[in-house]
Amino acid sequence: MEIKEKIKAFIVENFLFGEAEGLGDETSFLEEGIIDSTGILEVVDYLEEEFSISVDDEELIPENLDSIKNLEAYITRKIQNAA
Amino acid sequence: MTRIKNENELTLCTQCILPDTFPGIKFNEQGICKYCLQDDKKADKPKRKNEYKLKLDTLIRDTRDSASVYDVLMAYSGGKDSSYTLKILKERYNLKILALTFDNHFVSPSAIENINNVTDALGIDSIIIRPPKNLVTELFALTSKQDIFSKATLLRASSVCTSCIGLVKSLVLKTAIEMSVPLVAYGWSPGQAPIQSAIMKTNPSMMLQGQRALFNSYTGTLKDRLKQYVVPEHYFELYKDRFPTNIHPLAFFDYNEESIKKELVSIGWGNPKDTDTNSSNCLLNAYANYCHIDRHGFHPYVWEIANMVRQGIIERDEGIKKIYTEQDPKMVIYARERLGL
Repeated sequence: MEIKEKIKAFIVENFLFGEAEGLGDETSFLEEGIIDSTGILEVVDYLEEEFSISVDDEELIPENLDSIKNLEAYITRKIQNAA
Repeated sequence: MTRIKNENELTLCTQCILPDTFPGIKFNEQGICKYCLQDDKKADKPKRKNEYKLKLDTLIRDTRDSASVYDVLMAYSGGKDSSYTLKILKERYNLKILALTFDNHFVSPSAIENINNVTDALGIDSIIIRPPKNLVTELFALTSKQDIFSKATLLRASSVCTSCIGLVKSLVLKTAIEMSVPLVAYGWSPGQAPIQSAIMKTNPSMMLQGQRALFNSYTGTLKDRLKQYVVPEHYFELYKDRFPTNIHPLAFFDYNEESIKKELVSIGWGNPKDTDTNSSNCLLNAYANYCHIDRHGFHPYVWEIANMVRQGIIERDEGIKKIYTEQDPKMVIYARERLGL
């Protein structure tokens, strides 16, 4: 499964009752109330385990974490930087 | 009054206590839910707890002398968890603490007594913010009848609780910014919030978006009247350097309900007799639970208690008793009548 599909599956399963309707690649998790600031950390926990990356405190910003598109770009950068 | 299904009428996870009515849940052939299966993959929890204790020690050492007056602002409900958190912060770290209580007009008399006793015994300043009765009545009447927040919030709490705790969080953050308090403490139980959120620097842009999502759920005059309790939008840029670090130490300190209650006796805290099994301070909780179960078919505390069963903090049987016991009809009727419903 690609990064984007994995992230989407996690969000849908854990925050949207298994229903993907209305979740676009650029949908803001925070603005739409899909995930709150605590929930974001559950996402971070998942990212660290699934993609073997480490998320620093200063990286906990909407530009990295607040949509599927942002997450995909962020994880791709992290993986590339680690390589 | 609607009867609530008990554990024999539902299929429960064979490891924790989540029911088949919990949204999106799946069980494997052994009847184990997907959350237990995910949890089994996470290694070395005791090590992680120790890391967080060290992280808190370091954070407190680094911030202690930077505070103008108070080191930490505690969101203090008077319940056992926030009382125990206060005790840790005072006795282990000797911090200068301001305890802020949001009186939602349903704080039980015994909880008020506990607030006074505990803050006196620990030598802590206490402030209570009590909005007008008609405002909270309107708020809770609305959220007991309708789910106005996002779907995701329903997995963790009733709409009534989300409306109340949303105000508490905003009010606490606003006060910490205005008083330049570097730390904000909550008494979340180890089942309520994940350990990775237990020490977290609040990020202004994230908090702003979260606050907007919550308060844009309100409309009309209610929204206008609630504005004074939330963080003004210009604070997020103007005071971005004053945003505090949130801590909730019970995520990584030893947690045992009975031991905590015994320890709290020494600082004048008594176990309330006037609240339901899931709260030690709120007289609205049973009705909030009742409304949630009636609409969604699962208990709003089941996620928290299932997490605690999974972590071995409480026994599965005890968790089942907490969640699958009928809400006290007297408490349900009491709150409903006070809300004029």
